[in-house]
Amino acid sequence: MADTSYAPPADIDARRTAALVAGLLGLAVCAVGFAVARDQFFRAWLIAYLLWLGVSLGSMGLMMIHHLSGGSWGMVVRRVFEAASRTLPLMTVLFVPVWLGMATLYPWTHPEHVAADEILQHKAAYLNTPFFLLRAAFYFLGWNLIALFLSRWSKAQDEGDTAVTRKMQRLSGGGLVFYALTITAAAVDWVMSINPHWFSTLYGFIFMGGQGLSALAFVILIAAFLSKRAPMNDVLKANHFHDFGKLTLAFVMLWAYFQFSQYLLIYAANLVEEIPYYITRTTHGWQYVALFLILCQFILPFSLLLSRDLKRASNRLVIVAIGLLVMRFIDLYFLVSPEFDAAGMNLHMEAGEHEGGFFLHWLDIAAPVGIGGIWVWMFFTQLRQRPLLPIRDPYLQDALESTGGH
Amino acid sequence: MADTLQHSVDERPTPPVIEPGHTFASVTDTISNIVLTRRTSIGWFLGFLIAFILLMVLNLTIGKLLLTGIGIWGNNVPVGWAFDIINFVWWIGIGHAGTLISAILLLFRQQWRTSINRFAEAMTLFAVACAAMFPLLHTGRPWLAIYWLFPYPNTMGLWPQFRSPLIWDVFAVSTYGTVSALFWFVGLVPDLATLRDRADSKVKKMIFGVLSLGWRGSARHWHRYETAYLLLAGLSTPLVLSVHTVVSFDFAVSQVPGWHATIFPPYFVAGAIYSGFAMVMTLAIPMRKAYGLEGFITMRHIHNMTKVMLATGMIVAYGYANEAFFAWYSANPYEEYMMANRMGGPYGTFYWSLIAINAAMIQLFWFRKVRDNVALLFVLSLLVNVGMWLERFVIIVTSLHRDFLPSSWDMFYPTRWDWGMYAGTIGLFMALFFLFIRFLPAISIFEMRTIVPEAKLRTEHHG
Repeated sequence: MADTSYAPPADIDARRTAALVAGLLGLAVCAVGFAVARDQFFRAWLIAYLLWLGVSLGSMGLMMIHHLSGGSWGMVVRRVFEAASRTLPLMTVLFVPVWLGMATLYPWTHPEHVAADEILQHKAAYLNTPFFLLRAAFYFLGWNLIALFLSRWSKAQDEGDTAVTRKMQRLSGGGLVFYALTITAAAVDWVMSINPHWFSTLYGFIFMGGQGLSALAFVILIAAFLSKRAPMNDVLKANHFHDFGKLTLAFVMLWAYFQFSQYLLIYAANLVEEIPYYITRTTHGWQYVALFLILCQFILPFSLLLSRDLKRASNRLVIVAIGLLVMRFIDLYFLVSPEFDAAGMNLHMEAGEHEGGFFLHWLDIAAPVGIGGIWVWMFFTQLRQRPLLPIRDPYLQDALESTGGH
Repeated sequence: MADTLQHSVDERPTPPVIEPGHTFASVTDTISNIVLTRRTSIGWFLGFLIAFILLMVLNLTIGKLLLTGIGIWGNNVPVGWAFDIINFVWWIGIGHAGTLISAILLLFRQQWRTSINRFAEAMTLFAVACAAMFPLLHTGRPWLAIYWLFPYPNTMGLWPQFRSPLIWDVFAVSTYGTVSALFWFVGLVPDLATLRDRADSKVKKMIFGVLSLGWRGSARHWHRYETAYLLLAGLSTPLVLSVHTVVSFDFAVSQVPGWHATIFPPYFVAGAIYSGFAMVMTLAIPMRKAYGLEGFITMRHIHNMTKVMLATGMIVAYGYANEAFFAWYSANPYEEYMMANRMGGPYGTFYWSLIAINAAMIQLFWFRKVRDNVALLFVLSLLVNVGMWLERFVIIVTSLHRDFLPSSWDMFYPTRWDWGMYAGTIGLFMALFFLFIRFLPAISIFEMRTIVPEAKLRTEHHG
């Protein structure tokens, strides 16, 4: 190993600029959308926001798991996890449109609507605007603090302070508990309450599994990019991609397991307060999206990731990862959009029968590109600030010598 | 992974997976002597006697049940399911730790599984045996069970209800039992051959010789063995999730408030692993003490198992929090009443006891001081077993005893036959376990040999 500083490769800057341009273009289109199709803008923004927040939080979650479990798979991409989790301040700011769009997105924000609905009156103690914002502030405060401290200690570790290793482990334990609780509550607040009558106790797990999957897919992209350039071409080897592939396979299965469990139980019980969720999603064109999800977020990646050769070949694994990121978006689209009609109006805004149907708006392309571009720019900005490996981590040498495994 | 690492981060280094100083010979001697040469201790006889007495209680309760019928149990409308299903779920859950240790930790190449996998797998088998008794016996006439449970082609066109998760249970549990038994036995073959070679009497040689299936330890044997073992591990891995998922479906596909919750599958699986690790600890702590196996089942194992209990216990606690929140959030009066009744109704003490154990007490596992205190951990593990039994009791009984019609509300009181059969299965479990420790190598000899320093040249064992 000639170079032990592990400085990021220079051509990160080109990618960073490209991402910024794409992001600004996307945001410009979003701004037009905000002016001409405001309802669609808020809905599309929420979906795109959830996708990229999922990469940030999923990375932070996997990083905390790595701090607790150790293992070579996490050590070689810890800096990627850290950079992704340091996008959280940006994501905090980008939450503002969701706040502004509450009246469009959430029927329970309208007092006259609540007054006509007994169930919403019952839920008003939880689903009300001040408490919603207070909770959001609490989640963001907690997530940012965790990211901040893990990042700060990691930097201190680079400067020779090994005592922080234990601090990082300790915070990760509590941090995972905090993450599980807050992401569950956030999923209820931001997504489940779009249809304020519906509920499912598995919802938090679905989000955690999805965010883990998004983060892994993203990490595979970055790892493959870095593995072709000095200095990481000496470090990232086939066995690391093998491990990433196995973890991705596990998360793909977990995603299918959660979705199947929720579907089977609601379908079998066929209760009037639960089944509308799946009636909406299996009629009026949405059933094809559902089938597409089963095919492309489970059957296809599952079959592909069984192959050992594919997992070890970063070129091919990257294709699966890109596909999975696209599917993550479609999955989130499928969680949110069927509750809206083609004009962007929430189906539960007014009492009575109100049916939607499959639609896709141009903002649904612009928003993920806009947020994603800015996100990736921020990510690269963070990634290039530090060595690509935690050079003073006491476990590093062991991780580099290990032939893989966890 | 970090087995060889001296942790410089910490003034308290991580304990090794095997006590330094062991060699190939000392590993083989220590483990095989328990079976072959060591005198059976008084403690073993005492323990077995207790187990045997309880086993006789089981025989008595089964005899009484078959002669009289299941009316001897306390369950009756509206609590139509009680100890039979509680104990079934409790036992089958306990088995899951064995499968997780033997299959998933093998695939993840976790070296520390090596000294605990053998007896954890045995525990799985015995727990499945105990669990399977309840659904069979609750039919009242188990000799007819095949007629009710298995879809044999019959001329009257009578089939079991395939849409019922109870039938899925039959398939899930019988698959689980079969694969676990195969996995366990295949893993035993090389060790049985070692015992055959070291046995001093003709009878022992014969028995171990037959059981070891002609194992000679040739390179070809080993090659096929490794392939088979890895394949069985792959087959067992989905079973860790699927069996308890199907068990959770027994409740969750219904419409009963308190049973119908979409979180049940992952929450039951986590609970199963949690209770299973508690049982592994309950067995490992006295066993390593009695047979002087502290060099093999080291503090590293104790620490790691405690951490697994903490992680899975936290998922279970998360499940409780979810159930409580969504009972309110659902705005469904039946859901809300179910939760209010669980917390403040006649079985409220049970609910709060399980919360005290599974949500509050396990927070102690965060502390290294607690993880170092083996005697305390033994007590806490026993309590976890109690807590998980209470959890099943609360889920099953409190959801049923006050259903939609207040006029049909009633209490459930277990009879002595309920308790007798439960205690009896504990006897069966203990008796089988005592026999296992005495007659088979409780720790895998050949796998332990791969982690002594002499074997370090070939570190990639399960590639």
